Amino acid sequence: MSDKIHFFATPHRCTAAILPFDLEERLKHWTSLRLKMVKHVHENFTRDEWAYLVAFLDGANLRKPFQESFGESVNGGQPQPAALLRPRGLIGIWLPNNVSLLGPLTLLLASFSGNPLWVKVGSSSGDLTAAFVDYAIQSLPVGTLAGYLRQRVRIERFDRQDLRNRQMAAEANVRVVFGSDPAVSAIHALPHPPNSIGISFGNHRSEAWVEKEALTDESLANLIRVFAIYGQAGCTSPRRVVVLDGSDEDALALQKSLVRLWPKAVRADVPMHNTSQNIMELQLALAQGWHANSAPRNGAMVAAGRIGLPEPTGLMSLSVVSASLNEAVATLPTNIQTIGHCLHNPHDPRWLDLIARTPAKRFVPIEAMHHFGPVWDGGNYWRQFFEEVELQS
Amino acid sequence: MTNLLASPPFAPRDEAGFLNGMEEICRWHLAGCPEYRRVWPDWSGATRLADLPFLHVGVFKRQLWKTAVPGITHQRTLRSSSTTQSSASMIALDERSSALQGQSSAAILKEIVGDAMRPLVILDSAQSLRQRGEISARITAAMSLRFLASEIHFVLDDVEAEADWDHLLPVLARHQRLLVYGFTWILWRAWATGQIPEKVRQALVQTEVHFVHSGGWKKLESARVDRKRFDAALLATVGPTSRVTDYYGLVEQVGVIFPLCEAGYYHVPRWAGVLVRDPWTLEPPADQPGLLQFMNLLSWGAPYHSVLTEDLGRLVPGDCACKRCGQRFELLGRVPKAETRGCANV
Repeated sequence: MSDKIHFFATPHRCTAAILPFDLEERLKHWTSLRLKMVKHVHENFTRDEWAYLVAFLDGANLRKPFQESFGESVNGGQPQPAALLRPRGLIGIWLPNNVSLLGPLTLLLASFSGNPLWVKVGSSSGDLTAAFVDYAIQSLPVGTLAGYLRQRVRIERFDRQDLRNRQMAAEANVRVVFGSDPAVSAIHALPHPPNSIGISFGNHRSEAWVEKEALTDESLANLIRVFAIYGQAGCTSPRRVVVLDGSDEDALALQKSLVRLWPKAVRADVPMHNTSQNIMELQLALAQGWHANSAPRNGAMVAAGRIGLPEPTGLMSLSVVSASLNEAVATLPTNIQTIGHCLHNPHDPRWLDLIARTPAKRFVPIEAMHHFGPVWDGGNYWRQFFEEVELQS
Repeated sequence: MTNLLASPPFAPRDEAGFLNGMEEICRWHLAGCPEYRRVWPDWSGATRLADLPFLHVGVFKRQLWKTAVPGITHQRTLRSSSTTQSSASMIALDERSSALQGQSSAAILKEIVGDAMRPLVILDSAQSLRQRGEISARITAAMSLRFLASEIHFVLDDVEAEADWDHLLPVLARHQRLLVYGFTWILWRAWATGQIPEKVRQALVQTEVHFVHSGGWKKLESARVDRKRFDAALLATVGPTSRVTDYYGLVEQVGVIFPLCEAGYYHVPRWAGVLVRDPWTLEPPADQPGLLQFMNLLSWGAPYHSVLTEDLGRLVPGDCACKRCGQRFELLGRVPKAETRGCANV
């Protein structure tokens, strides 16, 4: 497939992008995969993960990087672009052990840049990225996407000491690094081309802000489901729920509701080691002064208490506190990523004022907390897969 | 309690009396330990062992629990030998409990290895004894055999080092019987697969050695060393009447040890109890494996008298071929760890 120029436009600007594939064909091939995926869940994925991938492969969702970065596709006419976007070249993607769906999702979005990819996956865990690419190669129709995944995407498993880290950094035009903050710094500190760029997805945590008048059983079930996918291991999972301008009794009432609704929202048992950890976390929380209960069948530990108590840290431990708006902002962790909200009026301008005072990177409805896209951790990283040529006629 | 310790450890016992004793110790800790009281605010009594309060083994890694009651004097803190995977348990030792725990371990060990005095060789470093304010669980286990020791010899400078075989040679020249204690993996590394000099080897094959080990098999599982291979490797180095005894015990329940009998079961002394709980419901399942919970009547300085572990096991009904009375159980390993998936913070 030779390079093809695609045009995109917003009401104020037209952009050209040179892509080594036909965009409509690539969209068609990725979305065609959904039809096969809905028939069975891949063994490496949980049902929730697989369902999310299927939803992510919706054509409208896959167009979003282009829409949010360049505008709507333009077919026909005489476009006068103000910029030409050109793929930067090799993208190196470093994934830690046990990384979540963020691995396959990043790869999927990167495939729309047309850049070759070199992906380092964790050295000691089941890996979703390689599993998904293998599955896609076997399931896709013959065409440029299958060819791209087979020939232009290199996935290797090695550890942080391996010399290939150095080689990747030396060759990549873009470094996308998932990992702990020290691991991210270590990769970016490796010798790399002077014009290359580094994109960091380091340690983050998230929380949910709710107003009691906005809560329903349905919204609470959403909160439970969003939390239960990864528990505290997910950087976009809420570790604590803040009842804004609520009382201690409000926090306690919410905690009781969550425990009551838990088995309706999450039907599967958690693994045995999680039940054991939940028992431990329950006892520690109680000893420290939280009002705490286990969800039925020890599926989680939910604790209500005051800001300032030591926060439970178990994988499936969720804490609920009440706070004024100022307290909520003041007690946000410095590495806050997403604030999921369930508010009476999320369009109220006061929320914008409030979020402007925080380091949060996302302020989205609770059910969208895990939704990954071209804007992440504070920037449009996807757009940076291209270099921009200014055009003036 | 004194009555219980006065009788042999594996003699029959009055079950109602044991339940009453456990109720008494639970009330003691509820009165003297505010954190414990917050965990079990509504408990008022039990009609069965399963209704007694307990603490999960992991809580001892996160905070130091103490029961402050007149008559209890806390001494040193016992620390488990932490691995790189987990932090250490911290147990506040006290005079009253330590005395009972010493009697308990002595009674059980005497039942296992006999009461003849002989040199005790410890495969560990003496340095562990010298830490002020703290004591390691490995050394505590080793030193529980000292009442049978005519002399004590530490033969490792470091647990990763080779044994000091030269130190052992004169001991072997003077004695025909030895007691050797080591953590299971240390005994395997330093003795069973150690480089024993020929002179020492010749002396050992003329010595009756009773190896006693504990600490679990986790580290040997990856090396695919099972009990049969372990015992055979040790016994191949020593005299023909030598023996190997494994026992199970919790750092969090010092003094109570559960010897593995020749029929393959761990036995519970009459001042202790064991329960199995379903991990999801915490109910005791009938004849099914589950999480093991251990109880004893010895622990008065902190609420570690009833501890839910992350070890899986099964209670075995009926009489044991080894003739010991009381409860017995099979150990089925640790709770399996499933992969935790997440983001950068995993």
